Amino acid sequence: MIRVDNLVKRFGQTTAVAGISFSVGKGEVVGFLGPNGAGKTTTLRVLTCFHPATSGKAAVGGFDVFDDPVRARQQIGYLPENVPIYGDLRVEEYLRYRAALKGVPRRQRRVAVEVAMERADVFDVRRKLVAHVSRGYRQRVGLADALVARPPILILDEPTTGLDPIQRRRMKTLVRELANEHTILFSSHILGEVQDVSSRILVIHRGELRADGTPQALLQTSHGRRLVVTARAPAERLIALFGGLAGVSEAPRVTVLADGYLTLDAAVGPADDPRDAAALALRALDVPVRELRLQLPTLEEYFLQVTEGADARAAQQLAGASA
Amino acid sequence: MNVIVTTLKRELMAYFYSPVAYVIAVLFYLFRGLETAGLTRTYETFPREVDGFTTSYIFQASTNFMIVLVPPILTMRCFAEEKRTGSLEVLLTAPVREFEIVLGKWLAALVFFAAIWLPTGLLLWVLTWSPFLASPLPLGPAFTSYVGLFLLGAMLLAVGCFTSSLTDNQLLASLSAMLFNIALMALPGLANQHLPRAAIDNNIVRTLLEQTNVYDHLQNWFTRGLIDTGHLAFYLGGSAFFLFLTVKALEARKWR
Repeated sequence: MIRVDNLVKRFGQTTAVAGISFSVGKGEVVGFLGPNGAGKTTTLRVLTCFHPATSGKAAVGGFDVFDDPVRARQQIGYLPENVPIYGDLRVEEYLRYRAALKGVPRRQRRVAVEVAMERADVFDVRRKLVAHVSRGYRQRVGLADALVARPPILILDEPTTGLDPIQRRRMKTLVRELANEHTILFSSHILGEVQDVSSRILVIHRGELRADGTPQALLQTSHGRRLVVTARAPAERLIALFGGLAGVSEAPRVTVLADGYLTLDAAVGPADDPRDAAALALRALDVPVRELRLQLPTLEEYFLQVTEGADARAAQQLAGASA
Repeated sequence: MNVIVTTLKRELMAYFYSPVAYVIAVLFYLFRGLETAGLTRTYETFPREVDGFTTSYIFQASTNFMIVLVPPILTMRCFAEEKRTGSLEVLLTAPVREFEIVLGKWLAALVFFAAIWLPTGLLLWVLTWSPFLASPLPLGPAFTSYVGLFLLGAMLLAVGCFTSSLTDNQLLASLSAMLFNIALMALPGLANQHLPRAAIDNNIVRTLLEQTNVYDHLQNWFTRGLIDTGHLAFYLGGSAFFLFLTVKALEARKWR
């Protein structure tokens, strides 16, 4: 439904998006993650044909956003960040106007607006002026606007910023419900949300795509996984055991538990799984073992790694190369 | 077409909802009413040629107010406000083309502009029966005068749309459009006074000055019942030119 090929967007000297490629298939809910200023909004604006790209290609629902912007936009319901909408209309009037603007035929408009209000849960404020509704409702009015022409694709830019926890939960539930009928690409910098709602995540940082996959798969192959062993044995023997394992890249951290057991944990390389080797080695030691597991990072840790961690690693490499 | 009509409706609604429009209307009618009362009293006391009445009635000081100040105020919101609040993004990410939005907004301003003028036309029609006029007023020249005002309004509103599309500051948009209007009004007179005679006698310069002399068009052509195709082309072409620039200014976000 969405295809982006080597997209670059520069504003003067600054490069907002530096050549990213991804695609979103029908029915997917994709979370677009990145710190503020990573290029999320810029990418979404290219997809909604608000900004053209400096180079590269993007297509939405099979229509190229540069060659056929009007038909590409017909495929999209877009909820921009901060939802800048006219305050001088009543909610229902605003949605009717938007339905007309988006070419919903006159006879279907009333029904289309009612369905959208129902879905976005703004029925009770339909008679209020847009300027007078609360932030949470405003966001949902924007969502109703995105839904009103029944587009196959929804693009939501930070749909939960500025909402309180209850509103945020409702928004998440809503997005999950909408996933049955729409392909959804939404951006966020709140990780919990993305993990809860999306079937896939894209991580963008400094205009580059840093990761693309299901949350589970990304964590499985990430940096920051740790091998954890809890056993009762002399510390130096366990440390030696860790040292002999392939894929364990550092000296383990040792924690002494109250009952004499030791917990050791050490970082594991991104592609390695030293659990089997560790189990065999522990059996050879013949000591009581309480725990042997591979601990995955939280999505938050993962996120920090692919963004700032990656920057730090790159800086180290640079320093290493010059030294 | 659908987008133009939808935009036209929405913008017209916005004009009628906004207090600015009512303030303009009240000021204009108050001013105009006083002027017209004075004018009819003059005609009552010193009966003169009826023909002159239409011209004097249409070109009172409040007409200048409606030509120079009002179009920029009506159009200053059009794009500057949308840019400031960011709603331009919502507007232009709907399946619309820039020219449709521009045309819709301009037409709405034009309809509202015409609506403010309408009562003055009705009043003139009522005055055709007034006892102080020796003979009935000829309505043809009155009609062409209004056509002239409408055409001039169309062009000045297009100028206002353009300045509004250049900035996100409404005040700047309206002031620069006013500056343009004042320049347009004053230029031929200033040129006549200050350019050397030889330059004015130059064919091209003279034609240019004649063709762009808005006051001359109104007072010596439209009010005499004459609609010159050259003038028609000037106003329609001017409107089209500034609307085209407005579309390009909106599209300019794509060049950055």
